[in-house]
Amino acid sequence: MPPGALSRERDVREAYAAHAGELYGFAVRSLGDSGLAEEAVQETFLRAWRAGERFDPQIGSLRTWLFAILRNVVIDLGRARASRPRLADGGVEPAVEPLDDALLAWQVEEAMRRIGEQHRRVLVETYYRGRPYSEVAEELGVPEGTVKSRVYYGLRALRVALEEIGYDG
Amino acid sequence: MTAERCREWRESLGAHALGQLPAEERAALEAHLEGCADCRAELESLAGVARLMPLADPERFGTAPTPPPALADRVAATISAERRTERRRRVRFGLALGGATAAVAVAVLALFILPGGGGDTPEQHVSFNSLPPGMEIGAVLEPHAFGTEIHVYVKGARSGSLCRVFLRDPSGNRLPAGSFRYRWGDDSQAILSSALDLSRTAAIGIRVGDRTFTAPVNPPDA
Repeated sequence: MPPGALSRERDVREAYAAHAGELYGFAVRSLGDSGLAEEAVQETFLRAWRAGERFDPQIGSLRTWLFAILRNVVIDLGRARASRPRLADGGVEPAVEPLDDALLAWQVEEAMRRIGEQHRRVLVETYYRGRPYSEVAEELGVPEGTVKSRVYYGLRALRVALEEIGYDG
Repeated sequence: MTAERCREWRESLGAHALGQLPAEERAALEAHLEGCADCRAELESLAGVARLMPLADPERFGTAPTPPPALADRVAATISAERRTERRRRVRFGLALGGATAAVAVAVLALFILPGGGGDTPEQHVSFNSLPPGMEIGAVLEPHAFGTEIHVYVKGARSGSLCRVFLRDPSGNRLPAGSFRYRWGDDSQAILSSALDLSRTAAIGIRVGDRTFTAPVNPPDA
């Protein structure tokens, strides 16, 4: 048995404690439904357990491996959902985001949650809400140059957080 | 020093990457970038992050959703159930194979499912031959620090039959390993244990009603 294989129930419990939060977060993000997300996480650990001997820590981290499994589970659940009968009388099917975009989106959102409040605030106000630096500076009671500098350090912090999460683009 | 000279420019790189710099400042910064490879590299790196930002939904920057506490228990229960099914399947698998094939299967399976703490002896799948028509018996013996764990699978006996299991050591001594009652339609697998080490187990026997069936363990050619 290779060391680090996910072959004992205790290994699965430890893997769950370490990674279930993130896996669930991504599952909710990509499936848009907490019930389906729970199903996806459960199925991910079950598949990981069945394939436990195939996990090789020399090749990649356990986290990366679990995310790869979850990605397949989400695709399968998405297919199952797509094959259900369409809603009658013109009901609108929810738009489904391509999965890789959903993963990137989740990574950016998770990285945003990890950076400092000051940095997140200026990025949200200036970029996502498109507000002028002068207005944001006044609201925060700081010089405009400080807003500009926070935007810069905010982007750098975001880059570090993305690397931590595993974004390798 | 480069870092000192660039400091002022550096802090504009974020705004530039996000396309927020007024035209005049942008022109001045671009003139600096022409001659500064470090700042160009930094801008390129930040632009990579900036390109991802439109994908994100700022409404989701608050608290991350957390899995309900009960999910951990459900996952643990699913895995436990899977583990039990897997054991049962393995016993049946051993049963379905003939002696020689089983020896190969034991060697292959042992690579994957050798339980811890039992020395060097691999798990043994045992097939009982010469059974009455319609009857099946299979067993898997696992080595443990305490001795041997025995999974026995019976099918086709008369419902209510008392099944007594024993192991035999190399001297031919018979060591009782427990008993169970076979019920038709019930889970026909029993898990028993014996203090006899698997490496010292020569045979396993089971007495079903008034008939006794035995099968060799650790055959010399395995």
